[in-house]
Amino acid sequence: MNKETLEYQRFNVTERIQHVIMLTTFLLLSFTGWALKYPEQTVEHSSWLVKIWGGAKNAGIVHRIAGITMLLDFVWHVFYLGYMLSTGKMKIRKDTTIIPLPKDVIDAIKNILYFLGIGKEKPQFGRFSYIHKFDYWAVFWGMGIIGLSGLFLAFPVQSSYFFPSWSVNWIWEVISIMHSDEALLAIVFILFWHFYNEHLKWNKFPMSMTWITGKISIEDMKHEHPLEYKLEFGNKGDNK
Amino acid sequence: MKRVFLVALLWIPLLCFAYSASAETFTCLACHGSMRGKIRVKSGALVDVNVDADKYSQSVHGGFDCIVCHKQFGSNPHEPPKMASAPSDIVSLSGKLTHKAKVDPIALAACSECHSDAYKSWQQSIHGSNVIQKKQSDGASCVDCHGSPHYIVPKNIAVSHVNKKNIVKTCGECHEKEELAKKYGFSNHILERYYESFHGKKYIIGHPNAPTCVDCHKYHDVKKWEDPMSPVAWDNRTDTCGRCHKGATKKFVAAITHKPIGKDNPIPYYFEKGLIALLLSVFVFIVGHVILEAFSEIRDKVLRKGKEGHHE
Repeated sequence: MNKETLEYQRFNVTERIQHVIMLTTFLLLSFTGWALKYPEQTVEHSSWLVKIWGGAKNAGIVHRIAGITMLLDFVWHVFYLGYMLSTGKMKIRKDTTIIPLPKDVIDAIKNILYFLGIGKEKPQFGRFSYIHKFDYWAVFWGMGIIGLSGLFLAFPVQSSYFFPSWSVNWIWEVISIMHSDEALLAIVFILFWHFYNEHLKWNKFPMSMTWITGKISIEDMKHEHPLEYKLEFGNKGDNK
Repeated sequence: MKRVFLVALLWIPLLCFAYSASAETFTCLACHGSMRGKIRVKSGALVDVNVDADKYSQSVHGGFDCIVCHKQFGSNPHEPPKMASAPSDIVSLSGKLTHKAKVDPIALAACSECHSDAYKSWQQSIHGSNVIQKKQSDGASCVDCHGSPHYIVPKNIAVSHVNKKNIVKTCGECHEKEELAKKYGFSNHILERYYESFHGKKYIIGHPNAPTCVDCHKYHDVKKWEDPMSPVAWDNRTDTCGRCHKGATKKFVAAITHKPIGKDNPIPYYFEKGLIALLLSVFVFIVGHVILEAFSEIRDKVLRKGKEGHHE
């Protein structure tokens, strides 16, 4: 087999750029926003974090620019998906879709049983395992919640025109809780889930290169995405 | 001997310039700059009789003779104070302040001589009327916010009590006190609430545009929010908020309160509780999953090495 067939193109260049923009803006947003989470209890580290950016004003500007960029990236992603689906370049299939299916719940249970030493077999994953799906939808949901509440907070006067008058007594508290608690969730999620699964795992450390090259080796594909492998190559790969 | 005398002679003008104070001040400070401890005055209050000469000389009032404010002492402080040596309006004003300034009401009243505008608006404020009309000794007067007149520095200097960095704490000196809150019917959690708010968070991390107490409530002429003259009275809020938030409407200004996120504000309260429950369950799941998987991978690598063979 020549080199090209030893690797499988998992993500195209557009998808990789979307990911890089999200990664960059996520880090910027986390590092500029964190100081506002509990400043009243952690004055020192909050003001230190703010100083890195040259003061609260700059941190706020960076935060807003990064936030808008991330939202644009999100919009791009949604339109991209719409385009890919409508032109038939992407098809919704059981073994390749990112949409959560009942199988994912079963996979998760099976996997956890395996971790505990109760199950004998690890579940077989398609293009996206339940771990990937969780990772993807957590971000998708977070973008919606944090992005929308962030826009409200950035343009409070304009947003107040939209809010019904019966909500004014609590809506702002709800929005600020939404924004900051969801952001905390996002940061912890990335730190544990995404970091472990894409960086710290035995065969991934220090990171899976797929995010840069978009490629995965056929060997890894067979192990990590056996169902997708079967769909793409049938059973002929088994004879290799 | 002659040299020693010359050196001493050279020092005298130097010292005078260093304190940039007159001979009068210099004389008072000769004792009051080195006194330690407190003395009990006739009214029963314990009074600090020491003035830090260095700090005094650096204050905005550092060039003044002591008797500019301590008018009743005339030229010899150790004769009994003479009210007659003070102007009559200061004496009458000081009469209204005796319960507030037990030691030297004349000096407190003397602020009004130079700072008449500030004094007038203070008298109309809730703080001022509390002192002057209601005769309350715990109402705020000049010194409560600005500190001792001996050490007042311009407000753009970091150590000033009314500097932006300190003003919230300065207001908090009284507004966090439970007994005052009870007496006057305000919330003593106001600072906490402020710090929890977006304005307060921005203030803590040092945002230059973050509003402090005085930006919304004003300072010398601060009034109760129910007072129609208060900038945070219902009808004035759109203007007050609109100074920073252009186009502020009635609907918008309702957002800004010092209300706690407590059970009396149930929607955000339970919303937050719900979100925290969601957060915690997600944390437990992801952390548990990661730990279990990590251990199972180690187990597979170490204990089940042989079984991996068939994959290769």
